[in-house]
Amino acid sequence: MPAAQLFSAGLERAINQLIKLDPESAANLYKLSAKHLEVEIAEFPHALVFAFSDQVHVLVREKEAEGYQVDCKISLSLQSLQRLQDSSQITSLIKQGYLELEGDIHVAQAFSQLLKELHIDWEEQLSKFTGDVVAHTVFSAGKSLFEHAKKTANAVALTLKDGAMEEKKLAAHPYVVEDFCRQVNEVRSATERLDARLKLLETQREQN
Amino acid sequence: MSDQPADAEQSNQTHFGFKQVATEQKVSMVADVFHSVAGKYDLMNDLMSMGIHRLWKRFTIDCSGVRAGHKVLDLAGGTGDLAAKFSRMVGNSGQVVLADINEAMLKVGRDKLRDLGIVGNVEYVQANAEELPFPDNTFDVITIAFGLRNVTDKDKALASMFRVLKPGGRLLVLEFSKPEFEVLSKVYDFYSFHVLPKMGKLVANDGDSYQYLAESIRMHPDQDTLETMMKNVGFEQTNYHNLTGGIVALHRGFKF
Repeated sequence: MPAAQLFSAGLERAINQLIKLDPESAANLYKLSAKHLEVEIAEFPHALVFAFSDQVHVLVREKEAEGYQVDCKISLSLQSLQRLQDSSQITSLIKQGYLELEGDIHVAQAFSQLLKELHIDWEEQLSKFTGDVVAHTVFSAGKSLFEHAKKTANAVALTLKDGAMEEKKLAAHPYVVEDFCRQVNEVRSATERLDARLKLLETQREQN
Repeated sequence: MSDQPADAEQSNQTHFGFKQVATEQKVSMVADVFHSVAGKYDLMNDLMSMGIHRLWKRFTIDCSGVRAGHKVLDLAGGTGDLAAKFSRMVGNSGQVVLADINEAMLKVGRDKLRDLGIVGNVEYVQANAEELPFPDNTFDVITIAFGLRNVTDKDKALASMFRVLKPGGRLLVLEFSKPEFEVLSKVYDFYSFHVLPKMGKLVANDGDSYQYLAESIRMHPDQDTLETMMKNVGFEQTNYHNLTGGIVALHRGFKF
């Protein structure tokens, strides 16, 4: 069974379903119409090509295959894929050689924008199957549960922090650390000043 | 190289599955088969291949290199699985021609594509692959999926495809072929001759057509022979890729 095609079929279906759930994403998809973006991940045996029309088509391509033209090609490793989540790191990743980009960068940016700006009203989606009342109740309960879990987690973190800093003295308070860092900086500056002054005095002595 | 055995050629006969029939009869006999199964064609494909035919077709699309603006001929396009995808990929500036010799299959394909909202850049043509009714150098890509083995004169059909392909264009032939392993071959034979016809009888109420399907696959040229046939009519850089252990193979060739 062509496993790569099974994977691409699943990915294509997932992307298109998500796009369909956000009617406003059509405008972002339209910007990419007729464009092809190739993504080559070092650890994978095949490259993926995203071809755009009124849908996203995910194609599998042999690496280094000849006779195919794409508008933009990105080559990277799984490790740098994680770092790509911070778009401000793109330039430094390219400089460090973790990311290679050929062609029109706007295609990659537009695809990234399409995925980032997907806003899906999951409550609305659920209501299509369960009705408004059930959907609203489920999401309200989920929201309350999430808030409660968040508060509990914060409280536990605060307790652990106080215990580690105040009772067991395992960690220093951030103000103490900050003050320590400031003092280290002052010592470093003073040392550098002293070093510069010593060098100046040595130079003067050699001249005399 | 032709699909007819030498003695059959002399007596103007060809094969229809394992039977020998008059060459001029084969077209109508194949037509009868597809008239009979057209309505349940997609369902039977899913059942017979356990859905894997969709992945074989995806592989064909992956290898097609189709882009916006291209002109694509989906020959023996049947119920339009490939044409539906190509139509979206070539966009409004491109064109897809779904061609099939069988009117019933073409009708099912046309209805299916229209139901999917695919209109505007798809044309439907009832055509014989041996004598394609298109000018020379018309198409960027030609695909023929699970259709070539039903063609009476395969060499003539390949030559016709070569003629209508643009220089730089490519032909993709997706077709049943010879399994690579003996064990797989035996399992496949049992499945083809004992399970398939019964399944056809049960679902499409037509066991004979699916008996023909199994026989026609065995009579189809193997991977290397088909590649040689493509070279003989002028295709260059030909190669093939076995799928699912060689049960199906995708042949590719370019016109330069």
